[in-house]
Amino acid sequence: MFIPVFAQLWVFHYWPMAGIRFAFTKYTPFIQPQYIGFDNFTRLFNEPRFWSAFNNTLILSIGNLLLSMIFSVGIALLINEIGNAIAKKFVQTVIYLPHFLSWVVVAAIFTIILSTQGGFVNDLLVKLGIIDEPIYFMASKDHWRGIWYFINRWKETGWGTIIFLAAITGISPDLYEAAEIDGAGRLKQTWYITIPSLMNTILVVFILNLAKVMNVFESVFVLYNEMVYDVSDVIKTYTYRVGLQNNDYGYSTAVGLFQSVVSLILVTGANWFSEKINGRGIV
Amino acid sequence: MKKNIVTKAATIATALLMTVSFLSGCTGTGTTSEVNTDPNVKPTEITMMIDTCMTPENGLQQVADKYKENTGITLKLEKPDHNQYYEKVGLAFAGGTAPNVLELGSIQYPTFASQGALWNMADAYASSDAPVKSIIDEAYVDSLRIPGMDGTEGLYGFPLAKGGGTVTYVRQDWLDKLGLSAPTNYNEFLDMLRAFKTLDGRSDIIPITAAGLINGESPYEIYLREFYQDAKPYIYKDEATGKYVDGMSEAPMKEALQRMQDAYKEGLIDPEIVTNKTSTCRDKFYADLVGCFNYWAGSWAKTLDENLVTTVPDAKITALPAIAESWYIERPSTSISITSEQYTSNPIGIYKYFIEYMHDGGEGQMLFTRGVENVHWKKNDDGTTIALPYLETPDKDVEKSYMAPELSCTKFDDPIALDERVTSSLETFYNNRKLVPYPPVNDTINVENAELDTIRKEVISKVVLGQLSAEEGIKEYETRANSQISAILTSLNG
Repeated sequence: MFIPVFAQLWVFHYWPMAGIRFAFTKYTPFIQPQYIGFDNFTRLFNEPRFWSAFNNTLILSIGNLLLSMIFSVGIALLINEIGNAIAKKFVQTVIYLPHFLSWVVVAAIFTIILSTQGGFVNDLLVKLGIIDEPIYFMASKDHWRGIWYFINRWKETGWGTIIFLAAITGISPDLYEAAEIDGAGRLKQTWYITIPSLMNTILVVFILNLAKVMNVFESVFVLYNEMVYDVSDVIKTYTYRVGLQNNDYGYSTAVGLFQSVVSLILVTGANWFSEKINGRGIV
Repeated sequence: MKKNIVTKAATIATALLMTVSFLSGCTGTGTTSEVNTDPNVKPTEITMMIDTCMTPENGLQQVADKYKENTGITLKLEKPDHNQYYEKVGLAFAGGTAPNVLELGSIQYPTFASQGALWNMADAYASSDAPVKSIIDEAYVDSLRIPGMDGTEGLYGFPLAKGGGTVTYVRQDWLDKLGLSAPTNYNEFLDMLRAFKTLDGRSDIIPITAAGLINGESPYEIYLREFYQDAKPYIYKDEATGKYVDGMSEAPMKEALQRMQDAYKEGLIDPEIVTNKTSTCRDKFYADLVGCFNYWAGSWAKTLDENLVTTVPDAKITALPAIAESWYIERPSTSISITSEQYTSNPIGIYKYFIEYMHDGGEGQMLFTRGVENVHWKKNDDGTTIALPYLETPDKDVEKSYMAPELSCTKFDDPIALDERVTSSLETFYNNRKLVPYPPVNDTINVENAELDTIRKEVISKVVLGQLSAEEGIKEYETRANSQISAILTSLNG
C-alpha cells in the first residue's frame, strides 16, 4: 500500500517542487535557465508595487478568512435550528448555489447590481435619500474592499457551512438532553455545548484555510480595475501582470516561492498558537 | 523496524532525487541539426500554432486535409483557446516543442524576434519570384521589418492580412432624428454627443462608450480617437530627432487628458468607462443606450447592426469619417512567423510552400481565406460563388477559414461578395487611417513595461474621473514612473 501513495506524493507533490530552482534563474521561453543568484528576489523586494500587493493579499485574505469562519459557523448554527426537514434542505440548496457560479458570472452580476446606470443598489440609495448621486462603487477605493468581502461571503458562505453542519450532527444528543434538564434554553445550549464542540473543527478549518491565504487571485482579477489597484492588487494579480504576461518564468517562480514561504510561516505560526492555547495543534 | 527502514530509505531517495532535479539543467528547447537552404526542398510536415482561424468544430482539419491534397505537405494545426494562446506558445518554446509556424501580433511579434526565436525571411522574400510579390501591398510587409536579436532589421514574419483598426460607429437614426449631419471637427463632435445625451428626454443615454480609457496593449490610444487626437501615451521614436521620447509627458497628452476630463464631467463619456469590457460596451450598444462606440471596422459593422436591430428595428448605424483633428489607427499586421533554425530545419521550404502559397491570390489564398469547396463554400450553377453555413452554427455563413477576406493584403479576387456594411465601414476606415509601427522591445522594456502600463492607466483614470487635474496627473506620472521611463529611454537612446 505504501508504493502507490509514495508514487502519488512523489509525482504530484515532491517532484514539481524541484521547479523552485527557477526562482534563482533568468528563464524565458527562449533561453535556457541561467543562474542569477538572488537577483529575482532583489528585484521583487525593491518593487514598491509588490509590497502594496503583499499587504493587500494579507488584508483581503485574512479578513475574508475571519469573516468566512464567523458567517459559516453562524449560518450553520442557524440552519441547525430549522426543524422542518424540507425547509432545511431548501435553505441549504439555496445558499450552496452561488458556489457553483464562476467568478466571471458573479462579477458580471454584481457589476450590474452596483452600476451607476440603473443599478439596483444605487437606485435604492438615491430613492431612500441616502445619497444624491450614484456612487461608482467598483471604482471607489473606499468601497471596493467591502464589496469584495461581501461578494465572497455571498458566494462561499453556504459552501463553508457544510463541514460545520456535519460536525454539529456528530455532537452527542445526550449533552443537549442534560442541558435541557438543567434548564438551559436554545441559546445557552448553543453557547455552552455546540460552539465548544465545534472548536476543534473550527481550528482545523481555520489552519487549513490559512495555508491558502496567499492564493487569492480570480475573485480579485475579475473585480479590480486601475482606479482601485492601491487597495485591490494582490500578489497573484501582480505576478500575472508582471511575470506571466512577459513570459518571465524566473521572476514568477521567485514570487511563487516567496508566497509559499509566507504561507508556511502563517500555518506554522497558527499551529504553534493553537498548541499554546488548546494544548494541541493539527500539523 | 522494517517499516522504519523503508520509510527512511524512501525519504533519502526522495531527498536525493529532488537534489538531482534541483541541480540538473533544463532539458530546454529542441534543436535541429541540419538546416536546409534550398528553396525547392519541399517540407513533408509543418506544425503550426494558430489563433484567429475558424474553430476545429467548423472544419479546420478539413482545411489542413485540403492543403495536403493540394501540396502533399501534412499540416498539423494546434489551436489553443484564444485567451491562452500566447501562454501556450510560450510554454511550447520553454518545453522544447516549439512549432514551425506561429501567429504573432501586438507586443509578442517584436518580443519573439528580439529573443532570436524567429527566422528572418527577408532574403527569402527579396529573392522570391512568387506571384505574391506582385500582388501584395508592400506597406504591410515593411511594417513587419523590425530589429532582431542582434539589433539589425529583419523580416521575422509575413503579414497575415492588413492590420485593421477601429472606427467610431454612430447611431445614424439618432442623427437623422436630431437633424444633424456627421461631425467634421471636435466641437461638432461634442455638440453631437450633447444632443444625444438629451435625446427624446431620456436620462439613460450614454453619448459615447469605450472599453476603458486606454487600451491594454499597443496601440494604446486606439479607442476614444476624437479625444486623444495627436496624443501618444507611450514611448515612441520622434522621427525629427531619431530619439525615443515619452509621449505621456508631452503637451498633446495633457490636452487630451483635459478633453477627456471635461467630457466625462459633462456626462458625455460613459460614467463606467473604467470598468467597461468590450462585451459590456457592445451590450449597452445593443440595448439602445449608446450613441457612439469606437469599434473594429469590417465584419463587426455587420454584427453590431444585426444585434442592434433586434432591439430597435429602425436603428441604423454608420461609421463616422475621422474628425479634422484626429484619424483612425491601423495596427501593424499580425504576422505569420517561422521559428528560427534552432526549431525548424527547413524554414525556406515552409516559407515557399506554405506562406507564399496562402498568399498566392488563387487556390492557396482561397483555401486559407474561404475554406474548402463544398464544405465552406460552393459554386452555384449560375457561376456565382456563395459561402455555406458553418458546420457548428448553421444559422451563420462561413466568414473566413483563417485570413479575413475583407482585410486581404494582396489583390485577391474574392469570388464571394462581401456585405455592404462591412465594405462601407472599411472604406471609411482606410480613408481616414494611419498605419502605426510595432512598439520597440528590449530586455529593459520587458522588465519595466508592466509597471509603466499600470502607472499610466492609474493616472489617466484618476485624471478623467476628476481626482487629479491634467497637470497634477502628468506630474504624478512623471514622479512615479521616473525610474521606468529613464531606464527604457536609456536602453533605447543609449
